Amino acid sequence: MARSLTAAHRRDLITGSAIVVIGVVYFIATFSIQRTNDIVTPATFPAIVGVALIVLGAVLVAQSLLARSTPAEAAPGLPATDVTAASETSGSTTSAGITDDGTTSAGESVDGASSAGETGVIIAAPPEPKSKQVALQFALFFVYLAILIPVGFLLSTAAFLMGLTSIYAPDRWIRNLVFSVVFAVVVYVAFVYGLAVYLPAGILG
Amino acid sequence: MDTLVDLGNGFATALQPASLAFALLGVLLGTVVGVLPGIGPISAIAILIPVSFGMEPMHGLILLCGIYYGSMYGGSITATLIKTPGEVSSAVTAIEGYEMARKGRAKTALATAAIGSFLAGTLAIIGLTFLSPLLVQLATVFGATEYFLLMATALLLASTMSSGSRVKALISVFIGLAVGLIGLDFQTGLPRQTFGISLLSDGIDFTIFAMALFAIPEAIRNLALGRGGKEEIQRFGDEKWMTKEDWKRSSGPWARGSVLGFIIGVLPGVGPSLASFMSYIMEKRISKRKDEFGHGAIEGVAGPEAANNAGVGGAMVPLFSLGIPGSATTALLLFVFTMYGLQPGPLIFREESGLIWAIIASMYIGNIALIVLNLPLVGVFVKLLKMPKELLFSAILVLVTIGAYAIEFSLFGLMLLGLFGVFGYLMEKGGIPLAPSILALVLVPLLEDNFRRMLQISGGSFLPLLTRPVSLSIIILMLLGIIAPIVVRWWIRRRQILMDFTVV
Repeated sequence: MARSLTAAHRRDLITGSAIVVIGVVYFIATFSIQRTNDIVTPATFPAIVGVALIVLGAVLVAQSLLARSTPAEAAPGLPATDVTAASETSGSTTSAGITDDGTTSAGESVDGASSAGETGVIIAAPPEPKSKQVALQFALFFVYLAILIPVGFLLSTAAFLMGLTSIYAPDRWIRNLVFSVVFAVVVYVAFVYGLAVYLPAGILG
Repeated sequence: MDTLVDLGNGFATALQPASLAFALLGVLLGTVVGVLPGIGPISAIAILIPVSFGMEPMHGLILLCGIYYGSMYGGSITATLIKTPGEVSSAVTAIEGYEMARKGRAKTALATAAIGSFLAGTLAIIGLTFLSPLLVQLATVFGATEYFLLMATALLLASTMSSGSRVKALISVFIGLAVGLIGLDFQTGLPRQTFGISLLSDGIDFTIFAMALFAIPEAIRNLALGRGGKEEIQRFGDEKWMTKEDWKRSSGPWARGSVLGFIIGVLPGVGPSLASFMSYIMEKRISKRKDEFGHGAIEGVAGPEAANNAGVGGAMVPLFSLGIPGSATTALLLFVFTMYGLQPGPLIFREESGLIWAIIASMYIGNIALIVLNLPLVGVFVKLLKMPKELLFSAILVLVTIGAYAIEFSLFGLMLLGLFGVFGYLMEKGGIPLAPSILALVLVPLLEDNFRRMLQISGGSFLPLLTRPVSLSIIILMLLGIIAPIVVRWWIRRRQILMDFTVV
């Protein structure tokens, strides 16, 4: 369980740092907003938001670093530690290492469910897919978005659906093909003739 | 009395064939989409908003309200039979209802959920009917200061009351604000945060952002997971719906859940999900059969489901009467109002009173339709659970793409959809909840506008926040709102009840 704790904190460390970077970029971008003579200039609000993102990201980083060195002591001082805090005071069936900050990753909540036993309301987090698979799915999606207008809705959609379903269930290619073509045609007809949303005709048009 | 007259007129409109048809269609469509595993009310509305683009405002709004509570009910079917909550609010049902289903009592679990939802939903709409006009009168003394405060409260509560890390929920709020500020400043017309990209000066479309966050990560995740680990769908036999004993054991939780859910729902920034958890804890605490909880106690389904649906009605109160959404889902509805050029709040009750009362009346009808349609049709909905995942989620990707295309008609809009999809996926991976950012995005223009007006009137001083009586009362309530969850946490801790759930 100690291992998953550090994994979760490493995740927070990365998340927090990313938020700080976004905040800095966002804050710098406010410099190019033209200033006016109003009390609240157009740049005031964006600047507040940028600073807030930097601060909150930094807090997250600090939390993860503090919790890593002294997991048990750091917990009560941190704001949102429902589970950790609860398990500490109750001190009964649960160990302090169930979760880091109340938002569990897949592995931890499974651990948590077993050790929390009957007292807990624990919903197992959904399983995490492999990053490579996620990247592939996103890549296909972006290809689809890119070709939708030039190639047209019918062809690109049928191809996209065929691609996705065939990666998932290659053995059922006939069903996949029928689904891809029928779905594309039905949606096209429904939107163009039913809802008057004109989808790109592309090379067929 | 005026209220009853208005409501009567509302019914006259809502009972016209077209309105009635849209209410029924919404409820049915909502249930169907809500049943689909992994799709909760937020995703359902986000995906279906583009459908309402070409509609008359009243019909579009009636349809989407129907979709909202239809999908809540659909979600409880999914939670009960395959333990996949579409949203946090049905997470408790995924425990208690699923356990009941495993014991062959799926029908009873669904019946107590449906009847509880109907009763609680109707009570909440009655509450909405009579509380909204009162709030509207109160709101006439509200100025920029009060509105700014209320919206800030909504955002703050949305982050303190959510589960998990409050820092992360706040990050989500500020991400929503950051995205919302991109584009031309509406007061001076100056471009802001566009990073030199002129296409960004129109701002980020709300629907694109919502669809990207609430449909794409879930779809991609499921597609990338691939086959294997098939969910077990619980059998749905021909046992009795509800025995006398079940009725007896359900009625208390229904009543308590309704009241609790409505009150929590009315608070700005607190959606129905907290209501269902609070109800579960309460039922467990007062139950004589504590050991049954976690093993299929009917009270653990009846109470939370009632609270959940009462919360929906409660959340409509601040939305309709003040124009301030209490949750991500009502934020979507607020967006739909503004899309039609309507601004919920005191004005809408004066100027568009026919419209608003017709919507409220349609909710009564929709609630009845839910129970009339859904219990007999539940066998049909269950078949939807068997829909192959790859077909479902690839179809959803196509539907959101059409939605984004219908908004921008450009490659740029499509790319924004994809990029925010990636961003949403990374947010989820980092444990940052998505819902608060939607709420923040929809509130940005109002929040900033009132912030500016407040300071312009006072000449740059924040003092009016404390000197105006109404504003001061809100501040006091706001402080209570921050203290209350701490007390609740302490109380939960004492009860040794663990709560932990992940936003799915």
